[in-house]
Amino acid sequence: MPDLFKGYDAGAAYDEMFDATSLREPYRRLVESLQHLSRADLVNRLETLQNSYLDQGVTFDIGGEERAFPLDVLPRVIELDTWATIEAGVQQRVRALESFLADVYDAGQVFNDGVIPRGVVTTSAHFHREAAGVRPPNGVRIHVAGIDLVRDEQGEFRVLEDNVRVPSGVSYVMTNRRAIASTLPEPFADHRVRPVAGYPQRLLGALRAAAPAGVADPTVVVLTPGVHNGAYYEHALLARTMGVELVEGRDLQCRRGRVMMRTTHGLEPVHVIYRRVDDEFLDPVHFRGDSMLGCPGLIDAARAGQVTLANAVGNGVADDKLVYTYVPDLIRYHLGEEPILRNVDTWRLGDAAAREEVMDRLHELVVKPVDGSGGKGIVIGPQASPGELDDLRSKVLADPRAWIAQPVVQLSTVPTFVDGHLGPRHVDLRPFAVNDGQRVWVLPGGLTRVALAEGELIVNSSRGGGSKDTWVLAGMSTTSPRREEHNVPASVAPAPSAGPAMDDLTSDAEEQQHQQQQQHQGRHEARAGAGGPAC
Amino acid sequence: MQLRLVHTTGFQYGGQALASYNQARMTPQTGPGQIVVHTRLAVDPTPWTDDYRDYFGNEVTAFEVLDPHSAMTVTAVSTVHTDRQPAPDPALDWADLAGPEVADRWTEFLALPHLVAPPEELAARAASLARIHGRPGEAARALCSFVHDEVEYVAGSTDAATAAVEAWQQRAGVCQDMAHLVLGGLRTMGIPARYVSGYLHPLEDAVVGETVQGESHAWIEWWDDGWHAYDPTNDLEPRDRWVVVATGRDYLDVRPLHGIYSGSATSSMFVRVDITRLA
Amino acid sequence: MLSRIAESMFWIGRYVERAEDTARILDVQTQLLIEDTIGDRETACRNLLSIMGVQPPEDRTVDVEAVLELLAYDATESASVAAVLGAARESARRARETLSVAMWEALNTTHRSVSTGHFRTMGRSASFRWVRDRAALINGAADATMTRDEGWQFLVLGRSLERADMTSRLVSTAAFTSGVGSPWTSTLRACGGHEAFLRTYNGLETERGAAEFLLLDRLFPRSVVFALNRAEQCLDNLEAGQRAGFQNEAHRMIGRTRADLEYRPLTDVLTDLPAEMERLQNTCTWATEAITSRFFAGSEGTNWLGGRV
Repeated sequence: MPDLFKGYDAGAAYDEMFDATSLREPYRRLVESLQHLSRADLVNRLETLQNSYLDQGVTFDIGGEERAFPLDVLPRVIELDTWATIEAGVQQRVRALESFLADVYDAGQVFNDGVIPRGVVTTSAHFHREAAGVRPPNGVRIHVAGIDLVRDEQGEFRVLEDNVRVPSGVSYVMTNRRAIASTLPEPFADHRVRPVAGYPQRLLGALRAAAPAGVADPTVVVLTPGVHNGAYYEHALLARTMGVELVEGRDLQCRRGRVMMRTTHGLEPVHVIYRRVDDEFLDPVHFRGDSMLGCPGLIDAARAGQVTLANAVGNGVADDKLVYTYVPDLIRYHLGEEPILRNVDTWRLGDAAAREEVMDRLHELVVKPVDGSGGKGIVIGPQASPGELDDLRSKVLADPRAWIAQPVVQLSTVPTFVDGHLGPRHVDLRPFAVNDGQRVWVLPGGLTRVALAEGELIVNSSRGGGSKDTWVLAGMSTTSPRREEHNVPASVAPAPSAGPAMDDLTSDAEEQQHQQQQQHQGRHEARAGAGGPAC
Repeated sequence: MQLRLVHTTGFQYGGQALASYNQARMTPQTGPGQIVVHTRLAVDPTPWTDDYRDYFGNEVTAFEVLDPHSAMTVTAVSTVHTDRQPAPDPALDWADLAGPEVADRWTEFLALPHLVAPPEELAARAASLARIHGRPGEAARALCSFVHDEVEYVAGSTDAATAAVEAWQQRAGVCQDMAHLVLGGLRTMGIPARYVSGYLHPLEDAVVGETVQGESHAWIEWWDDGWHAYDPTNDLEPRDRWVVVATGRDYLDVRPLHGIYSGSATSSMFVRVDITRLA
Repeated sequence: MLSRIAESMFWIGRYVERAEDTARILDVQTQLLIEDTIGDRETACRNLLSIMGVQPPEDRTVDVEAVLELLAYDATESASVAAVLGAARESARRARETLSVAMWEALNTTHRSVSTGHFRTMGRSASFRWVRDRAALINGAADATMTRDEGWQFLVLGRSLERADMTSRLVSTAAFTSGVGSPWTSTLRACGGHEAFLRTYNGLETERGAAEFLLLDRLFPRSVVFALNRAEQCLDNLEAGQRAGFQNEAHRMIGRTRADLEYRPLTDVLTDLPAEMERLQNTCTWATEAITSRFFAGSEGTNWLGGRV
């Protein structure tokens, strides 16, 4: 057991590396490969990593301040079997939500069949009636999904939240991988980690597949709110790695129901917009009239089938926290399957019976606003003061539909290098899924977010969380992975020409003179011997 | 009755508008009680248009004008044949309203958005009417009459953004306000109700061939095992002089013309409706 | 390419060139002003400001310090080197994802020296030299790392237009201070062309020769004709080839001005040098407007009225 892990106290939660004191199988190889790394070594490597992130500008905006994205040096390892369950569960979830959205913005059969009350959906702030009648060309509304998972006390992965509007974070998955591969090259080489660099190509393929009918070579763009947006780095990275234009609202214009891009050659058509602008800001005709981030006419163009918006407008009703409580039923209704990944137990406080059960237990539970994001508004009962709990109680009674309650899930922990030593910190996992209409592809790994403060359960980066590189192993083999044999050249290639200056530098000056003299002599001799015997 | 309607509306800009994107809900549809013989929407300056049906089933024409213009005029010309039967007697009782077949199905027409939210006094009156009358249909009728008696029709006393509570305060308003007030009361009673926009031939004995200046009119419908129409402004059940154009939760869902424009800082809207009885 | 990005590239080219050339002009002029013990310093300073397109302040005396504030250090004055470097960096920030890392970093670190006040503390000639060095770094990074696509053409177009404009101002300043010392020598030195000039004119330095060199020489990269030629080349590359005439208004304007300079007798031009130089500057302004409306139209955001808020 390397020095690093001495004195590691796993704590009450499910620790992913240690089962009480014994090491769990997936981490065996990692620990072995870290044998020769001292604490000082690790500190050094971590510093280099952080500096490189700052130089590259891999940052996240917190309250207007740009900080380097905090990446922990120790990767999280997920073995193949566990991952297979996660992958299947995420795919199932996305498929069910796709069917749900298609129904809810069309016939609404799911209401007639009593699976979910219509009122739950129609009172959601994200139910956009403007999107009714917009039929995506290949039926896909959730081109990119981020399904947040947590691992409970028994080590089972459960779904905490669905994100199907504008999920972000995938750029950090890719930059983290590059950073860790160069920071811990030896351990990385010892494992067969499934790569993540293929994400942009997958996304591009899915976006192209979603193009309006009859377009042979679709123009795809990434629509960003601009440099002031906290996730701008990701928008720019994705545009660059997909090889598509990064546009802002003002670069676009809708003409005759088509979306055009202002270029130096005039207006050029745009067919698919991977938009990282929220619904409310997307189209001043139908939504916020003061928005400078969108382009008027986008919704009508989408309805006319001339442009595809990815993700579709109105997806927010599927990741509404209240609808979340119905998703297991939706999986059964739309797919006829049992949920592979379970929800976290949830009470809907709009429900009188649920309220009765939990109102005097608020101090034991986690209470979340239905319309919150980024961890805002969440009250963790055991950590709240009596004043905060009273405040919460009155808020809930004033608008019960707006709140849900869940038991405090002890998120699993993974050893994290904080303040010079390793300690258990709570983590969650956000796998990303790309739907191209034929299949839902899940990026191997995803973003592991870690709460850097000891005991802290909220992992969002906007609340001071960090992340870890996530390794999904491609099957365990006992020997070191065999590197691919490359063809070895048969002979040495010709060297590039040296030039006169190089000759002067590399040859000995004396030798030069000697050679000159020899040449000189040679000439003399030749001349001397010129009058030799004729033939 | 066969009616010909010419609805002209538009914007006058102080200066020039450079570009505008608009949505028009001025196209009547064939439905219970009316058949649309012919309908056409024309816009000046000539734009690109696209027609679609919105969430509430209304016909919408989306159009854009991308050349500089100082005024934009939209004219809807329709010929509609109306034949409304007198409404059936109230069918449902209060218990029926509470069940999911009604309350969940029409949940959107039970909501109380800003324009519709009733003043306390009206809500109280609605509650007492609900106690008095054995059937929702009867209570609804009574509420309409109550609002008609309480609020005086005064043209120009309110504008399109006026909420029900404001109109109630001054006990004056136009058809839009009467409709909002009644909706607030009905929904408070648990009766799903919706806003209807359309046209009304103002003369009871409409003369064939005579063109009169009508109005863009608003009334309501409540749910009683079917949509039951009533006009609180005139305290009458809509018959053949009424033509339906659009329905929704409140005025915002049925606006005849709205949109955005860039350029000139000011705009004013004009409206004119000419109605002719053809048969 | 996106109009917005093309516009950024054009202005980066112009701003960087403007900063460099302003520094060159200031380098020469401040030296001359200090050495000049007989002439009217105030008038000379005011003349310099006028030539640079800055309205000299009426209410106070204008000395060398004031000139430096207005043209070099004050970041709130739009003609100052400080402001121009800031504008260059701002243009780059808007197009950041299309610039190479080297270029962005060069522009960003240059601006940081200004914004942190370091630029001001360098001392006069050192700061002017620093600006020239930074410009060389930025242009070198662009040269080495930018694909020769449209973005590159717009960058060089902006740089060339600005250079023609700035050289005309440089020539004006030499003409104005012709009473004292050898302004032409200093001017030639300022554009790094003194040695080239001497080689070309066989060591014979005359006012006429210097003016000819700076205005008409086809091979010296800082001459007006060279710059205009380069600008025309860029416009040519940006438009699809045309068999007759010029579709682009800017192309026509620049071509005519260049032809005008080249084909008229030099004596004519020298007779009223200041007026000629002003005409040149106007051409550059009009050409910029024509380029903007042709290529960058509509790239500013629109304010929409009448919607739901």
